[in-house]
Amino acid sequence: MGFNSKYYWKGLLACGVLSLSLANLSTNAEDAGNLFNTPYDVNQGERYFERQCSRCHGFDAKGNDETGAPDITGRLSRASTNVGVFNIIREGIPNTAMLPVDSALPDAQVWQLVSYIESLRYDPSTVELAGNANVGNTLFSGKGECADCHMVKGQGGRLGPDLSRVGENATPTELMSSMTDPHNDVAPRWWTISVTGPDGVARNGFRMGEDSFSLRIMDNDANLWSFRKNQIQSYERIDQSTMPNYDQLLSESELDDLVAYLFSLRREEN
Amino acid sequence: MKRVLLTLNILLTTTFLGQLTAQEQQFETVMTPAFSPISWERLVNADQEPENWLMYSGTLDSQRYSLLDEINVDNIDQLEMKWAYQIPVIDRAETVPLVVDGIMFITEAPSNVVAVDAATGRQYWRYDHELPDDLRICCGRNNRGVAILGETLFMSTLDAHLVAIDARTGNLLWDAEVAEHSSGYSKTAAPMIVKDKVVTGIAGGEFGIRGFIDAYDAATGELAWRAYTIPGPGEFGNDTWSGDSWKTGGSATWITGAYDPDLNLVYWGTGNPGPDWNGDARLGDNLYSDSALALNGDTGEIEWYFQFTPHDVHDWDAIQVPILADIEFQGQERKVMMWANRNAFFYTIDRATGEFLMGKPFATQTWAEGLDVNGAPIRVPGLFPTYEGIMVSPPITGGTNWYSPGYSQQTGLFYVTSFDGEQIYFKRDEEYEEGERFTGGGGRYDQPMDAFHSSIRAIDPATAEIQWEFPIMPRSSAGITTTAGGLVFTGSADGYFFALNAETGEELWNISLGRRVHSAPITFEAEGKQYVSIASGNVVYTFGLRD
Repeated sequence: MGFNSKYYWKGLLACGVLSLSLANLSTNAEDAGNLFNTPYDVNQGERYFERQCSRCHGFDAKGNDETGAPDITGRLSRASTNVGVFNIIREGIPNTAMLPVDSALPDAQVWQLVSYIESLRYDPSTVELAGNANVGNTLFSGKGECADCHMVKGQGGRLGPDLSRVGENATPTELMSSMTDPHNDVAPRWWTISVTGPDGVARNGFRMGEDSFSLRIMDNDANLWSFRKNQIQSYERIDQSTMPNYDQLLSESELDDLVAYLFSLRREEN
Repeated sequence: MKRVLLTLNILLTTTFLGQLTAQEQQFETVMTPAFSPISWERLVNADQEPENWLMYSGTLDSQRYSLLDEINVDNIDQLEMKWAYQIPVIDRAETVPLVVDGIMFITEAPSNVVAVDAATGRQYWRYDHELPDDLRICCGRNNRGVAILGETLFMSTLDAHLVAIDARTGNLLWDAEVAEHSSGYSKTAAPMIVKDKVVTGIAGGEFGIRGFIDAYDAATGELAWRAYTIPGPGEFGNDTWSGDSWKTGGSATWITGAYDPDLNLVYWGTGNPGPDWNGDARLGDNLYSDSALALNGDTGEIEWYFQFTPHDVHDWDAIQVPILADIEFQGQERKVMMWANRNAFFYTIDRATGEFLMGKPFATQTWAEGLDVNGAPIRVPGLFPTYEGIMVSPPITGGTNWYSPGYSQQTGLFYVTSFDGEQIYFKRDEEYEEGERFTGGGGRYDQPMDAFHSSIRAIDPATAEIQWEFPIMPRSSAGITTTAGGLVFTGSADGYFFALNAETGEELWNISLGRRVHSAPITFEAEGKQYVSIASGNVVYTFGLRD
């Protein structure tokens, strides 16, 4: 560190006392909000994350298969508020590898960490989009034929990811590239597999699940098939996604409208 | 006797006599109490009592090869589950149980041990270790197993203690503090018995510790010797650390070693130098990090070392279980040590002298052009972690990791869980603070795990050539056990436990257990029948042939 860490800690401790005092008022910390959310705080939180948390959660906070630590860059399954995130960091999650932070760690530094985690997301209301979401909605079920394959709030097809809350976990840029460059970066769940089963019939389908000994797919008629690998005659991954490339099919403004619509799809507020 | 009773049954079939027959058969059963003390001689000859699994790796040479063959390539399809033991603390089980004359000792997260009947899985006793709330642990609340000598079990605990527990009751006999946990030390690995001492390592390589290997008097818990894995000032190798970096250089010892009674040498692997991904403040080879050490079994003196990855900046610990065997190498019988390293190279080393005999990559790697005649890597320049990130293979988790490899005396092959992957490595600047993480960077994957390739590979130690491979998806972190039944038992991250033909790699049997297998199988005999046990998720499952 480029500063005297001993004095820095004392400073943070003082901030922590302030924070604790706020938490003890009749209103709660949620009402008081996170007081440690300046760019400096986010930076400090990031430094703490890289040092203390990245071993399990990954250097990019996108989780780690081996440790079982989840991706925390998107929607969090165990906390929906900053206070919830704070409490998990402070107290850990019982009976899991998620341990509490050192009890001597000042609250202020925990809040900095909360700020960093929050910075991995963004406030969608601050995003300005060129398209019109209502027009995008019409395109989705109309000209774009998106609803033939994708479901939104229980309506639509089964041949692509459910998009009911796609706006929570994808940026507008990512949404655009998924339409104009659909064969790049396909999630393994949506890889297309061609498999010839013990009956000699070749079937194509989405890769619902695959492991060392078995394979499960859903074909285009939404039939579910399960195979033992030692009984199938052949199987291969088809690199091309079944998602059409909309770069040629829709105009630029129509694509913008679709992005605006998809970005608006998120959890309904209570 | 049975023939007489059978004759009686045929001649006289009245209900009364039938009952009498049943009674006589009942009294014909001879019962003996479970468990008997384990002498050092029994441990040295553990291979000769395959009904038991007496130490972490089965035998002192760590081959994980059992002479049991009741379960074999011809009847493996008759294997079925006999019992399951549910670990009450929900966490990831890395336990390798011991079995001693019908009693199984299972360790649990965070630092507990339970004794159960090996034939039924029902409990005799349990020991729950009290832990402080300021633990410093890098990678989960793990415990991998106990050691046994006499009537005493020895267990590492997360607060960096070594405890001795009465094997008959679970009572605590002594509790030795190995190191101060709040400074970043912890203990996860099963200890190993050498004569009358308990040899044990230390974890904490991500917290700037100074690693060591200890031996404790089994009777009293007194420290008998300590071998630091980073030399102090004035000692050979201290000058391989720039400045004071040796004080915080890691080189932890968080897996169990092996022992050769004839050579009286203890073999133990050492972990990464710290900080893991930034070597700027620790210029030099950083001895004895990422090394195999051969220590005198009585004094702990380092007799020889072999450093696999000098000046490591990718976290490629040499935390693998060494496997010892006598093999024919270039026309000569050699006492060798086999080692598939996290750096993706396989090594065959003369275990008497430390001489490098053979080495080749066994998994995808981009960091070295090969090994020189002494086994030192010929590095590809420019692949140290950067602030912006740089892609290198293998990834941090390595071509393999701490999961136990196996060796079969039938096939002469070495079996290892391997991973072909790559990762973007980052470097960060950090200053050491006692008890805080000290890693200097990290890594991230650029592709989903399903895009990578994992497999069980069988390697000929005389040539370092891969003889066969069995693909696994996704990545496995399970250990391997081999048997005289011609079998290789292992598991996978997707929750399978399975058996392969040791000779050919052919798939013979599998069962989906539903949760990750993160431990190594054991095999044993109880009430005259062979069993195989494996931990999956939080459950220890035991299998035997259909009755």
